[in-house]
Amino acid sequence: MAREVKEVEIKSRADTLKQRPWPASPPPSREEVAKVYARRKAEEFGAWCEDNLWFHKRFDKPEALQGVRVLEVGQWRLGNMFAGSLLAELGAEVIKVEPPEGDPVRKYTPFGREEYMLKDPETGEPCGLEFIHEMRNKYSVTLNLETPEGRKLYKGLAARADIIFEEYPPGYMDELGIGYRQLSKINPRLIYCWIGVLGQWGPEKDRVSKFGQWMLDPFAQAACSFIHNTGYPDDFLPRGSGGDPTRSGVWLCDYVAGEQAAVNALAALYYRDEKSGRGQFIEVTGAEAMLDILDFDISWYGFNESIKARTGAWDPNLNQYAWNPCKDGYMMIGGQTDRLWYRIGMCIERDLPQFGRLIHEDPLLKEMAARNALQALTKTYTLTAMWLRETNRVEAEEKLMEYEIAAGPLLYIDETCEFPHFKYRPWIYSIEDEHYGTLLYATATTSFQQRTPARVKWLGRPLGKDNGEIFIKYLGVGQRMQEVLKEKGVI
Amino acid sequence: MTDPREVRLEDLPGPKSREELEDMKAPYEEYCRKLFDVGNEYVKPAALDGIRWMSCTMYIFTPHSVSNLAELGAEVIKIEMPRMGDPMRHTSPFNECYYYPLHDTRPKTGTGIGVLNANVNEYYITMDYHREEAKEPFYRLVKMSDGLTECYRPGTFDRWKQSYRYLQEINPRFIYVWGGGFGYGPKAFGGSYDILGQSHAGLASITGFHEDFGGHPVKHTNWCIDWYSGTQITVAILAALYWRRKTGLGTMIEFSQVQAATRCTGYAVPLYGRFGVVRQRWGNWDTQLCVHGIILCGKSDYPDEKNPQLRNEARYVMVSAFNDPDFKELCNIIKRPDLYEKYKTHKQRVEAEAQVEIYREIEKWAADKSRSEVVRILTDAGILAAPVKNDKEVYDSEHFRQRGSVRWLDDPMMGDVLCHSSFSCGLLSETPRRKFWDFRPVGADNIKVYHELLGYPMSTIKKWYEENLI
Repeated sequence: MAREVKEVEIKSRADTLKQRPWPASPPPSREEVAKVYARRKAEEFGAWCEDNLWFHKRFDKPEALQGVRVLEVGQWRLGNMFAGSLLAELGAEVIKVEPPEGDPVRKYTPFGREEYMLKDPETGEPCGLEFIHEMRNKYSVTLNLETPEGRKLYKGLAARADIIFEEYPPGYMDELGIGYRQLSKINPRLIYCWIGVLGQWGPEKDRVSKFGQWMLDPFAQAACSFIHNTGYPDDFLPRGSGGDPTRSGVWLCDYVAGEQAAVNALAALYYRDEKSGRGQFIEVTGAEAMLDILDFDISWYGFNESIKARTGAWDPNLNQYAWNPCKDGYMMIGGQTDRLWYRIGMCIERDLPQFGRLIHEDPLLKEMAARNALQALTKTYTLTAMWLRETNRVEAEEKLMEYEIAAGPLLYIDETCEFPHFKYRPWIYSIEDEHYGTLLYATATTSFQQRTPARVKWLGRPLGKDNGEIFIKYLGVGQRMQEVLKEKGVI
Repeated sequence: MTDPREVRLEDLPGPKSREELEDMKAPYEEYCRKLFDVGNEYVKPAALDGIRWMSCTMYIFTPHSVSNLAELGAEVIKIEMPRMGDPMRHTSPFNECYYYPLHDTRPKTGTGIGVLNANVNEYYITMDYHREEAKEPFYRLVKMSDGLTECYRPGTFDRWKQSYRYLQEINPRFIYVWGGGFGYGPKAFGGSYDILGQSHAGLASITGFHEDFGGHPVKHTNWCIDWYSGTQITVAILAALYWRRKTGLGTMIEFSQVQAATRCTGYAVPLYGRFGVVRQRWGNWDTQLCVHGIILCGKSDYPDEKNPQLRNEARYVMVSAFNDPDFKELCNIIKRPDLYEKYKTHKQRVEAEAQVEIYREIEKWAADKSRSEVVRILTDAGILAAPVKNDKEVYDSEHFRQRGSVRWLDDPMMGDVLCHSSFSCGLLSETPRRKFWDFRPVGADNIKVYHELLGYPMSTIKKWYEENLI
């Protein structure tokens, strides 16, 4: 792939720290979009959707989970944070309980670069963007759970909570006397959800190193065969240079566990309020939540002892359904049924006549399901990539769109942030935050609702900012007492 | 007025019965095992008992949003096109595995395992929405259901007079979900797949090895964006149910899966917004922690196996030692204490150049060792390390078996099916998730729904069947 000449010369790190204007170009206007609806004879419906689901009306509407109180107690991981975020976006009151020195996630920053961290306006303490982005609509209080006073205060908060998302090593909270076993005696309505990597019980439960280091996400991806099955095979790319099993770029198991924790907790809440009046204990792990969504992979082994191999950016189940390299990046093309599959070929054929002869006329590629055989995939994609290497992403998208193919370029983050549809809805949006200034963020996925849309009210929170309010409201601990507790290292 | 001298057990602090006392004393692990009681899920109540949902869905993304409800106890009616069924039924890896039959008119066609886990516990009916006669049974179902999930192109259900605009009139409590790629806006009519979500939303651009290391963006092996976005719809549905308990009103939820892929890219978006820095791929290492990555060992754990997935691939280990004492110990084990001297603080060793050097040295050390040797040496020293497991090892894992997340099910129609879903979404002590069946043939429950629930006489059902309406 030819490298593009960079328009910005980067000589030192300082050159990289320039805030770009966002959006660089304005999103399409509503009039332009109305024309899109009109072309499909859906003007009226399109207008109805925009009237009823319009993102910018979210603050005009009530919040679905108003009145639900959630404690989020965890460190190092994103599972409990994502679970808390999903509920907080929908209106729950989420209180993140941190140790007095803060959740270590606050310190995460790519390649250790402090220049990418944002400073707390009061203390000047730097905070990483990973934490700020996931600390949505949440209050921050500090409590040292290793002290008896800290535990007493925590019990007080738990007595008033509907849901707790806890993410500590197995049995840690129980040992301190503040696990489910003890808290459910104080608050029988409590829904207590433990989140972890492999489990809090069982032969391979979560471990902590000899020096106290926790197990964090890619361990979950490694344990459920996700990593083994992801990546390019070593006959595509040499082993050690991309032809290896590959982890997800993000801590995906944490996100998947977090959302399943939110589902389970809300279902338990429904059951409590509708029927039983009692809470319950829930356990969700990253490895197993991912196992749930690992397609059919383990069942396939059960079927005929197949061990899924890596197929890079191709999918062994569908032809065509892949991205392949093109002149200036990668182009995703999808179309499986005869109707779509031949249309892709007709488009390619215009520039690459042998595509029709070699692909359309191959008797082994005539039947839809038969096109998923490995040799069929190899042949189809080899010829497709031959066309793509002479074509750039914009050209390819334009040409394929003429044939109404679901195709799209592989976008980098800057391109994602500037994609017209994403800006229009918007999926990327900026917020003027009280503490950290203007921030660009990914909006709540549940923001588009007729009655109770989710919303982001703030991002990030200085450590312990809400001690004053929460402690007086729920525990009756006033300003002077808090100072004493602070001196003792309790809060 | 009770006698103050009488002491009642309930009023005293502490456990109230012998059983409770034993619970409080039990070792934690034992307590958990007893509470979750894996294997006896079916005798406990289900959380969403009494909820009825209509699933007008296809593929994986929207079906999974409903499947979550069905596992939690909701009664779900899945509506498919007559004879054909969900297109996902015609999907199977390398065209290998099928369950028979697809439909009673097509005994030689099977359902591919691509559809596994996406529509569990549901009742399968067929209906051709295009036809005028379908309106009445469809509306009857709407009147007696709590909600619906659909995934057709925007405006399609509206054209058929079954969008939320119409349905809220006949059932104001109705919760209506549209799930798809884009939603209102300039690309409203764009089709979407999981892979489009991965590529379009930035997730692929940060997954895989950087081109400087010779790599390309990698597709996550599973349809992760389909599944993961589907679960977020379930979150929205349950929140809407909570709100409906208070107000009696339903809602419409429009959910775009492409957006959900951007949502999990962490610091990428704010980093771009503030500093103009575009997050890139970092292979099997971590951008924010070091040592926290996957290394290649010299020898396979199964050098003599025939299957190359065992013979060649069982060579990767996840190693994690980012805290100072862990890293120091790791450097000692690989006999490079100088590395620790060089990179004493986490800030130093998480730098890109440092990571390149550190992982190279660990791999050099592992070059003459097998995967299990590396894991054993590191684990014995108290460092966190784990093998990168394949499907066979997950299948064989005692851990997942004991926890019930991998188990054989006796499917009422298909017989033995290995299940690694549903139960694995989480353990619930009072209302566990469960799976009765994975899928059923196309239209298997037509009589159950059209006759027993909606009251149509058998002759009408027969007529509809012959006319291809159902």
